[in-house]
Amino acid sequence: MAFVITSEDYTKYLAAAEKKLVDNKDYVTELDLATGDGDHWSNMNMGFKKLIENSDKLAELNISDEFKEIGKIMMSVIGGSSGVLYGSAYIGAAKASKGMEELDRDGLYAVLKAMLEAIMDRGQAKPGFKTMIDSLYPAVVEYGKCLDENVSDEKLCERVKTAAIDGANSTADMEAVKGRATYQADKGVGHLDPGAVTMSYQISVLMDTAKEKILA
Amino acid sequence: MKKIINAPEDVVKECLEGMQMAYSDTLDYIPEMEVIVRKEIRDKVAVISGGGAGHEPLHAGFVGRGMLDAAISGNVFSSPSPDRIVAAIDRVNTGKGVLMVIKNYSGDIMNFGLATDMAELDGVQIDKVIVKDDVAVPDSTYSTGRRGIAGTVFVHKIAGAKAETGASLSEVAAIAREAADNIRSMGMAMTPCILPAVGKPGFVLAEDEIEIGMGIHGEPGVEKTKVKTAKEVAECLLDKILSDYDFENSEVAVLVNGLGGTPLMELYILNREVQKILKERNISVHRTLVGNYTTSLDMTGCSITLLKLNDELKTLLDAECDTPALKFY
Repeated sequence: MAFVITSEDYTKYLAAAEKKLVDNKDYVTELDLATGDGDHWSNMNMGFKKLIENSDKLAELNISDEFKEIGKIMMSVIGGSSGVLYGSAYIGAAKASKGMEELDRDGLYAVLKAMLEAIMDRGQAKPGFKTMIDSLYPAVVEYGKCLDENVSDEKLCERVKTAAIDGANSTADMEAVKGRATYQADKGVGHLDPGAVTMSYQISVLMDTAKEKILA
Repeated sequence: MKKIINAPEDVVKECLEGMQMAYSDTLDYIPEMEVIVRKEIRDKVAVISGGGAGHEPLHAGFVGRGMLDAAISGNVFSSPSPDRIVAAIDRVNTGKGVLMVIKNYSGDIMNFGLATDMAELDGVQIDKVIVKDDVAVPDSTYSTGRRGIAGTVFVHKIAGAKAETGASLSEVAAIAREAADNIRSMGMAMTPCILPAVGKPGFVLAEDEIEIGMGIHGEPGVEKTKVKTAKEVAECLLDKILSDYDFENSEVAVLVNGLGGTPLMELYILNREVQKILKERNISVHRTLVGNYTTSLDMTGCSITLLKLNDELKTLLDAECDTPALKFY
């Protein structure tokens, strides 16, 4: 059985991701206060709130235009470098999905890969820098492996989700290379990167959304 | 803090509004977006630039015939967001494409980069030139690679003049990049600047101390030394520039730039020393600008910029322009 994600499905994913974010408000803020200035959760939350407000409008667009609008909203509402990075990710996704009606497993892979490349390019960052990339990168790599191994969509969803979560957890051992944590004596070692954690929430919820589409 | 302001959070908006009021026959202001744009949009390649506020007259002061079509301002010393940049692009693009002149700071590179992606999705042709003229440090707090400083003004002039000739986007971009490749600058600071929202200096220099190579946001330079004479300052800054790039036996344009708090009297004295040294080194000066072109709020200090000219760059440099901060007839 295979999944297909439509524009409307993606707005459902946004709502589920927003809920996941809200449920983890205190946890993420606590992580951020350890290494950053504590505003990561509230900035992300503002971004997702705005997306939910616009979800009816977003659901009517084709998938590429939907990504473009999401990018614009995230860029302006989240603000700062996170806003630019998420904006870039979604604009990259819009380019990658141009002409697609909906996303099947190859389409979703192209979108996630484009997001990863956009974030790495714009942020001039690599895996291992203790950033959101450390969740997205292993998820995309795992996704590629699943396609090569031709595993079922259900298995694929589970493996990509696990890779994203494991990736976020791996940031505890990393030294920060960019951002505020680099100014600390321990360079954030021992702490999870909040950007990687919120990224893992989004990927988890996205893969859950895809998995539900298989069963439906 | 003594400043002629109403409220720190309003300085960018009120500065641009005030500038537009002074040049209301040629300039428009796009509210909320902090964009100054030419009233007359001509059917040609548009040249835009922007960056943090606090460097006036850069960038909005160079909007007008023969230079920029629009300038986008961020908050003081911070990059404009992509939506502002896209608003400027939408306003000036006539279908011939848009050249962005960007100073090499990480924030500007990111925000102009995303704005490019967004505009390209809408079918706008975009090209860019990145200015990294400051020879002081190889990398800095805010940049990967050299910083972009006062030499940016020459890139605005060259690109704007080329665009006025009706050249294509790739031609305008090519000459702008050639200009940027032939520009070197180096500065020094004597007293710090005070950000309106902060209210006190971000660093301290002793009464008898200057910092060579300090950036236009107060980023660290190469060394702190005792106060020097104008002659010694000219020697020290030019030495670094001339050892970085071969200007010997060539024709150059010179910019002796003030950082905002230094009197013109001192800049002219500095220029006198600069011209003497260049003559000794067999470098002939085609044109000189002396004044506050790229400032750092109220910082005292200066920078020196040289642009190595060839025939085309010379023609474009000399072409007419009419902007608030630079007029050639």
